[in-house]
Formats: sequence, C-alpha cells, structure tokens
Amino acid sequence: MMILLQTPLFWTALTIGAFLLGQQVYRLTGNLVLLPPILTGIGLVVVTLKLTDTPYTTYMEGGHYLHDMLQPLIVMLAVPLFLQLRALRQDALRIALAVTLGSATTVACAWWLTSWWIGDPMLSQTMLTKSITTPVAVAITGQLGGDPSLAAAFVILSGLLGVIMILPILTLMRIQRPETVGITLGVCAHAIGTSRALDLGEREAAYAITAMILTATLHAVVLPLLVSLF
Amino acid sequence: MTGLLILLAFLMAGTLVQHWTSAPIPPSIIGMLLLLVFLISQRKVPAALTSITQSLAPILPLFLIPVSVGVITHEQLVREHGLLLLLILAISLIPGTLVCGWIMSRGKRS
Repeated sequence: MMILLQTPLFWTALTIGAFLLGQQVYRLTGNLVLLPPILTGIGLVVVTLKLTDTPYTTYMEGGHYLHDMLQPLIVMLAVPLFLQLRALRQDALRIALAVTLGSATTVACAWWLTSWWIGDPMLSQTMLTKSITTPVAVAITGQLGGDPSLAAAFVILSGLLGVIMILPILTLMRIQRPETVGITLGVCAHAIGTSRALDLGEREAAYAITAMILTATLHAVVLPLLVSLF
Repeated sequence: MTGLLILLAFLMAGTLVQHWTSAPIPPSIIGMLLLLVFLISQRKVPAALTSITQSLAPILPLFLIPVSVGVITHEQLVREHGLLLLLILAISLIPGTLVCGWIMSRGKRS
C-alpha cells in the first residue's frame, strides 16, 4: 500500500478523484456557491498529505502533470472573451472603465493595507494578483515577487468573500441591474463570482465572464510592466 | 485533439514572441492575445476550438488544485497573518464594488 504514496501518478489520480468528489458535493448541496469543487478538492488533498506525512514536493511529482495544463488553458480564455466581446460591443466604454477603475481600486486597497498592517513585501506583492482569475494569477505572481500558492489562495478566498459581500453592498447602493451585478462579480470575485452570476441569469453571467477575463488580461499585461519600472 | 493542438501552437507562438521581445509578460498571456487577434481576424471560432473549450472549461478548477495545495508549505505565515489577510481581502472588496457599481450605473440604460 505505502509504495503508492511514492508513485507520482497516485497523486495525480488522487487529485482528480478529490475534484470529482468535490463536484458531487457541490451538486448534492444544490450548487452551494460557498463550497465550490476546487475548495473540497484542495481540502481532501491537504488532509491526505497530512495524514500520510507526505511532503508537498513529493505530491507535486504527480501534481505537476495537471499543473502544466494551466498554460494552454490560459490561451483558451481567448475563446470566451472573443464570444462575449462580440456580444457586448455596444456597452464597451462603460465595461472598460468599470473593469479598469474597479479592479485598480480593489487591488490598490489590498496592497496598501497589506504593506501597512503586515509589511512583508512578499505578501504585498502576492496581493497584487488578487483580482486576477486563479490560473493567470499563478502565472504572473512569480514575476511580481509573489508566491504562486498564496496567490491562488488569495484569489479563491477573494472569490468566496465576494460572493458573500458584493450583492448586499450593491443592494445597499440600490443597484440591481444585471449588467452592474455581473461586472462587479467578475471584477472582484472572478471565477467563483462568475458561477454565482450563472445562477442569477444569462445577462449577469455574460457580463461577469467578460469582466473576469478582461481584468485578468489587463492586470497580466500592466502589473509586470509597472513592477519592472519600480 | 485538434483544439488542444491549436492551443499548444499559440502557446509556442507566445513563448517565441516573449523570447524575442523579452517582454515581462508570461508566454501564456501573449499566446492568449495572439489567439484573440486570430479569432477577431477570422470573425468566428473554429469548431475544434469550440469543442475543446466546452470540454475543458468546466473542469478548469481541477488543474488549479496542485498549486493551491502548496499553501501547506506556508503554514507559519498562515498561522501568523491568516486572519489579517482575510480581513484585508474582505475590506478591499468594498471600494472595488462601490467603483464598479457606480460606473456601471452611469450613462444611458441599454
């Protein structure tokens, strides 16, 4: 039995199994947004590693087969972006402004608070990618002096918090328009926000997907340039 | 598989462009932008790309599990600053939501 723990593909299989189980849990809880399959998956893998006392590097010998697929998957984001851009062309200016200024505000706030309250440059730099959908955040955080694993954690937590907080804030602002809700969920809560938008309606989802990929693209191009200037 | 091959081809193109220009942008992002330009020039999505997107997009989070599990290598940091980081993430959502909400409610209603 124990020999399996040293077999890289065991960890690949375990990760896939944990994700599938996560999907089942998500379905059984009636698509509870706060319990996305990725969260259950991460939890199950972490528990297994702890119980078997397996170091992360051993796990990654199998995990990297899945991890390496992230790069072509980022390229793939061009497809939904193209389809949505074509559909939402008439609203382009407003979307561009909301995506640019909205994401800049939330990231600047997070970066500034982290520098002020914690003062660990690595954590502040990792905060810079908090509004970028996870695969892209993981891809660029290294260049910014951040850590990929923490970047993933920040993005996922932001998504969960966003799903809890964004709709009540918009309700307080007396905003219920599907376009606004979609854009805000996409900019501030990325993929998890987008799956919440899918529950709300097609229009919300279209705006959320657009906002998520536009924010990711913009930040992926601008942040490394900004950081290389300073 | 044709779809995956197209994605990998654009990724390789991105890698070459990144190498030649030494732009501080990851090859995958350049590849994505090149694919976007290609799609705009074609005005439609090739069937092979549509099918790979439909099969891979729903399981995209699976591929993020390995890197996310890496948080366990930062146990010390999480124990020390975890709650504060969570608070920062929560607070920073408020101005972002206000700005997005405000801008999106400007202008004429479509």
